[in-house]
Amino acid sequence: MSTREIFDGRLEAALLLAPTAIVSAVFLYYPTALAFRTSFFESGFGRAPEFVGLENYVSLLGNPEYHSSVLISVVFAAIVVVGVIAVSLYLTFLIHEVDAGQGWYLISVIWPYALPPAVGALVFLFMVHPTLGVLTGPIEALGIELDWFNDGPQAFVVVALAAIWKQIGYNVIFMIAAMKNVPDALTETAEIDGVGRLRRLVSVYVPIMTPTLFFLVIIDTIYAFFGTFAFVDLLTSGGPSNATNVLIFDLYREAFSFFNFGTASAKSVVLFLVVAVLMAVQFRLTEEYSYYGA
Amino acid sequence: MTTITLETLSKEFDDVVAVNGIDLTVRDGEFLVVVGPSGCGKSTTLRLLAGLETPTDGEIRMDSRDVTGAEPKDRNVAMVFQNYALYPHMTGRRNITFGMNAAGSFTDEEIDRRVAKAAETLDIADLLDRKPQAMSGGERQRVALGRAIVRDPDAFLMDEPLSNLDAKLRIQMRAELTRLHAELGTTTVYVTHDQTEAMTLGERVVVMDDGRIQQVDPPQALYDFPTNRFVAEFIGDPAMNMIDVELEGGAAVHDAFRIPLPAGSAEGETGAGTEPLADPDAGGRRHAVLGIRPEDLHLARERPDLGETTFDATVEVTEPLGDSLLVHCSIGNETVKMGAEPRSSLEPGGAVSVGYDPERLHLFDPETGEAFYHSATATAPADRAEPVVTD
Repeated sequence: MSTREIFDGRLEAALLLAPTAIVSAVFLYYPTALAFRTSFFESGFGRAPEFVGLENYVSLLGNPEYHSSVLISVVFAAIVVVGVIAVSLYLTFLIHEVDAGQGWYLISVIWPYALPPAVGALVFLFMVHPTLGVLTGPIEALGIELDWFNDGPQAFVVVALAAIWKQIGYNVIFMIAAMKNVPDALTETAEIDGVGRLRRLVSVYVPIMTPTLFFLVIIDTIYAFFGTFAFVDLLTSGGPSNATNVLIFDLYREAFSFFNFGTASAKSVVLFLVVAVLMAVQFRLTEEYSYYGA
Repeated sequence: MTTITLETLSKEFDDVVAVNGIDLTVRDGEFLVVVGPSGCGKSTTLRLLAGLETPTDGEIRMDSRDVTGAEPKDRNVAMVFQNYALYPHMTGRRNITFGMNAAGSFTDEEIDRRVAKAAETLDIADLLDRKPQAMSGGERQRVALGRAIVRDPDAFLMDEPLSNLDAKLRIQMRAELTRLHAELGTTTVYVTHDQTEAMTLGERVVVMDDGRIQQVDPPQALYDFPTNRFVAEFIGDPAMNMIDVELEGGAAVHDAFRIPLPAGSAEGETGAGTEPLADPDAGGRRHAVLGIRPEDLHLARERPDLGETTFDATVEVTEPLGDSLLVHCSIGNETVKMGAEPRSSLEPGGAVSVGYDPERLHLFDPETGEAFYHSATATAPADRAEPVVTD
């Protein structure tokens, strides 16, 4: 029994909880359980599911294409998370330091986040399209031959850049709030002591912002694995030659292009496990290094 | 060792004038306290000195160097803040060395040597490996002082450094600051709103109000010869009693009393803008405000030595302070506060006969608030300067 009586009765508490509980159950827990179950079946479009035990997992273990997809996803996530955090942190610092027009800088940094992912992907496509892109000319003027429709590594970089660009706004919103919470006196002490600007960012602001930064690392990791589907789908469709075939896109194609629901479900369970393990590691690190105020 | 000179220094924030054209010289090695109520511009003045604010007008010089537009780091000053401003994620040692490391102008051995010396001076050796959250307020402020002194700055700037400490610790740290200053002899500008702190610490005290300097003097001179009503009422606790009187034939006349004014110093050496007490403009009568500190009023029966002249008052409230009794009483339609012996038995509503110290009377102009008469003859104000300790 609860020691605090907040609600008049259990009925009231249950009613208030119901919408969230129902939505979570119908759209989250039930599909999760179903995916887990389906991963043990050979299941296709218009065919009766047939129980195959662990066969789907075993075949994934022996599939080199899938291995490379896992590797690509992890590398992609690492690049996106590090890139988003680093770029957002620096942009936040610049906005924090500037005296005039802070609001305008903030808006211009945040707006890509306000776009739906698909629109963001299309905007980015028109910016760096190999022949039509607005930025293609200037980039090629630097001596880089832009050919990411055919060049795998270039396509990987383009998708990663698009994913970073889209997520910066979200990070900046949290980071600017955290940075503004650093007491002014610390900034002033650092200024009087002659501590350089970057040193101040890295040695004073970042340690104090760690709770926010760890939260963002978690959110950005989830984003990198799950939220970047639209960029892969609209920019490269996983190509060229599977160079951008990240897990989330790979399992989508498995399910809805090849209609191998069993294999796709097994892939989604593996993706879930990969992310879960990474989360566990991150939470452990958070406990160890995060600074939670005096 | 540095002399700091401010010339017609002003700072405006939008339409608020925080500092209004002040002139001030902080002498080499001096402990100067700037005191005033909230919003008087004292902290802004200190921040202008530190370079954390840019003056709207005027000039700041350190020795002969014009530092008005210089970056904080190029001024070689150290600042101590009210909230300590320790980096919360760094140990005491790292807090002290971080600025030196970052500035890059010290070798590791030099840093170690200085930290050891500062730790010894401030008795903080056992705090060096602790983080601020594991320190008490007093310990934090000591570490913050350590951070200030290791850099051997030209001047210390202290912004209410003791305000966050409890009363007992504050008194202890006050004594330590005095000792530290005697030992280091570094020019120090100390800002506070606490007049007791100002009186006890300052070799000279600057009283500010409304962005302007009201008076600069050694503490005792400030107390004995306030230049205007603001200073008179701000310095001293409880505040000086102010009574409207008429001046007539060398006496202050009120409905309830007539106090003869001794020759006094009609132009006390600390009193600015003084006018002769005798021969006022019109018809020998003149309005004035008589200022008498509560501790200069006594029950006539307790101090018969103070003279014949007494006046009647009615006791309203008594406040026992332990070492004395503070009596609120009414004289005519004025309420005044006065000191009495701690165990005097006084009943509210009772009539008492009040005597005063004729040496401690002040007169202020009712319009301008300027002091124009102090009954004490101004002698050279006692200089409170500490003997200089040299290594």
